[in-house]
Amino acid sequence: MKIALLGNPGAGKSLIFNQLTGLGIEVNRYPGSSVCLECGNVCYKKEKIEIVDLPGIYSLDGSSEEEILVRKFLEQGGADVIVAVLDATKLERNLYLFTQVTEFSPKLIAVVNMIDEAERQGLIIDVGELSSLLGVPVLLTAASEGREIDRILPLALGSARVATLRVPYDHHIEAALNSLEKTLRAPRYKSLLALQGTGDDRILLDAAGAVAHEIELRHRMSVRQIIATNRHNLSRKIAAAAVRQGDRKKTFDLDSLLTRVIPGVPILITILFFLLLSVFVIGSWMQELIVQTFTTYIILPFTALELPPLAERIGFSVLIALEAGLGIAFPFILTFYIGLSLLEDTGYMTRAAFLADRAMHRLGLHGEAIIPMVIGFGCTVPAVMSLRILKTRREQTIAAFLISMVPCSARTVVIAGIVAAFVGIFWAFSIYVIVFILIILTAVILSRITPGEQFGMIVEMSALRRPQARLVLAKSWLRIKEFLFIAMPLLIITSIGLGLLQYYGVTDAFEELLAPVTVTLLGLPEYASTALLFGIFRKELAFETLAVLSGTADLGSVMTAGQLYTFAIVSVLFIPCISTIAVLYRQLGARIAILISVYTVFLGLTIGAIINLLIT
Amino acid sequence: MQPSLREDYLEAIQQFSEKNGHSPHFAELAVILGKPESVVRSDMEDLVSSGDASIFPGGVITLTGQGKQTGESVIKKHETLQCFLSEILGMDTIAASDEACTLEHTVSDETIDRLGQLIVKRDGPRQHHWNGKGKEKGAAPCAVEDYDCECPSISDCAEGENVIIHCIHGRACAKRLLDLGMVPGERASIKRKLSNGALVVQVKGCDVALSPEIASAIGVERSS
Repeated sequence: MKIALLGNPGAGKSLIFNQLTGLGIEVNRYPGSSVCLECGNVCYKKEKIEIVDLPGIYSLDGSSEEEILVRKFLEQGGADVIVAVLDATKLERNLYLFTQVTEFSPKLIAVVNMIDEAERQGLIIDVGELSSLLGVPVLLTAASEGREIDRILPLALGSARVATLRVPYDHHIEAALNSLEKTLRAPRYKSLLALQGTGDDRILLDAAGAVAHEIELRHRMSVRQIIATNRHNLSRKIAAAAVRQGDRKKTFDLDSLLTRVIPGVPILITILFFLLLSVFVIGSWMQELIVQTFTTYIILPFTALELPPLAERIGFSVLIALEAGLGIAFPFILTFYIGLSLLEDTGYMTRAAFLADRAMHRLGLHGEAIIPMVIGFGCTVPAVMSLRILKTRREQTIAAFLISMVPCSARTVVIAGIVAAFVGIFWAFSIYVIVFILIILTAVILSRITPGEQFGMIVEMSALRRPQARLVLAKSWLRIKEFLFIAMPLLIITSIGLGLLQYYGVTDAFEELLAPVTVTLLGLPEYASTALLFGIFRKELAFETLAVLSGTADLGSVMTAGQLYTFAIVSVLFIPCISTIAVLYRQLGARIAILISVYTVFLGLTIGAIINLLIT
Repeated sequence: MQPSLREDYLEAIQQFSEKNGHSPHFAELAVILGKPESVVRSDMEDLVSSGDASIFPGGVITLTGQGKQTGESVIKKHETLQCFLSEILGMDTIAASDEACTLEHTVSDETIDRLGQLIVKRDGPRQHHWNGKGKEKGAAPCAVEDYDCECPSISDCAEGENVIIHCIHGRACAKRLLDLGMVPGERASIKRKLSNGALVVQVKGCDVALSPEIASAIGVERSS
């Protein structure tokens, strides 16, 4: 038995899902898509029930990855029962999606969630009326209080049925649907999609396209508009009959502060600054703890085993990779994710996107791009994964370049460990300034040369609400799992590869080969090239390798301040780490991944050479 | 060769083969299409070079897999269109006799005209840039729609104003706006406007943030 939760973003699906399944969640990547499906199992009356949380969507006939996924899921009858989750405070708008779901004729129940918030707003919902209009059982719930959540499963299993609701379309649309059914035997939902140009049946699309053209000539309106208007009109009628507006309590509107330039922008900057600061403080403390424990209890006992050299080398490489992954994943990325999930769950991120829209336009992007950029300060890998929210390839490409340059937490470790410690805190900040200037320059150039059109921002402001600790943790945990899943195997493989190269003396040859670049161009010691190479698989490893190769942790005694500064800026700019390259490849293809790698190497070497020239 | 001409040929050949169980000769095709045989011969050469048809000795024309598929698709398209036009013709006649309204007659006349064109001349509608083909070519997602209007855009309105949405230009952008309830006739109010023209618009009880370029694509009427 399989049950799927379906609804608008922010209707409270995730909270319901979490309360139904507890913590036994697994994330499945849907075949052929990068969208994640969360699944969980529960036992009800000795029967195993699988629950799927479908991604939040506004419509079933769009072309975003999420919409396509849910559409396919419904077409293939992916679940025995669909639980349509509706936001009680925005019932009319949420019913729009519901009208589309009914066209796929699945067995349904409707869960009207956030009834507590609706009550505060004085909205009274007539369950009997709504249920008879929709033709499916309706349940009023308040997931944040856990109210009535335990009745969802019995209702879904016992009384779910195919909705009797049917959208009355404009008579020309109905005529088109009839004709397509007669000539091509196309089901209603497929014809509706084909009339809007969606589908993969060429013959149906051609026929529907010709008919759509006829309709558009008569209405002076696109078929999409006609269909959407018909659905909205039905939703309005249902909402008008089932919802009554009672007395409304006056509450203070926080948005009068948050969405104005003053004080909105200062608030935004303060929030982001404290997010990064707390990640850095908590992260460094936890990292030290993890790395020390790992070294004392695992690496030292391992080296004490005195295995044969090759085995020792390989084992050591694996352990170093594990240490690297854990040392960066939990302290920095998990902390960052918790902060980010908090911001998302309060609904603040949509305000941030609105305020950032102007600044982002200058970079050839729009407001929503602030989310990947902020994530990029934590870790580039999830930042690249979140590029999905940008709608055009052009924006994804520009943002990918910029994200790869944003100093992630690992690069912050390099800047702090080398420059702040041995050169001075002022110089550490100067690196940030240089990087930001380069990011802006890159963006200005890219926004001119990248082909494609800009797509503006259309974001629904999520309601401001208090985040739930449990949900924030669950979300962060799912994200960190995804990071480990991508990064860990790569770290281990690269580490073994590099270890073997070192074992067979290839790195020495490599250092010699690159000596003209390292020594002449950048003015660094020869072994710095190996340190930079190690930086490819974890940025702050550049710093640690440098310490190992120079034979002392007191880098100030073996290299000049100028050399340390040059090394730091090169390793910060120079090529993204291997996990980033992998995820760039997966998200945007080989061409962009290679372009970004080449560009950043070029940038790192050029800036390094310029600084070397300035110093000497 | 014009795409519509190609479709006419493929449809005629496919229809002949389905009806008679064998492929047509040049002469037969010329009769069906009402064209001189010499024109048909030269047009067929184009179809052979585009990989739609092959000519066998004796002037027998057969369609390739690709040509057959297109031909079948065109036949289906015309059948559907014919069916659709007849259906709305029926609807319109009922509406017209009910209300005895001359306006409805002109609509019907137009429909009869279109239907007549379709049946008599077998001339399908010209290939218009529909079927989402623009998207495949990476065309501008915000291209202005054919049906233009000259009403003020929502970005000309001030914070706190109430408006009625009149039209939305641009297909791809329009999709999400439509889903969020911004359909013609819907009431909206402007909750916030920044100096760069970015807006927060309240529609159907939900707040939606819009970039300036999206906002300028929404035509509105001011209301009190």
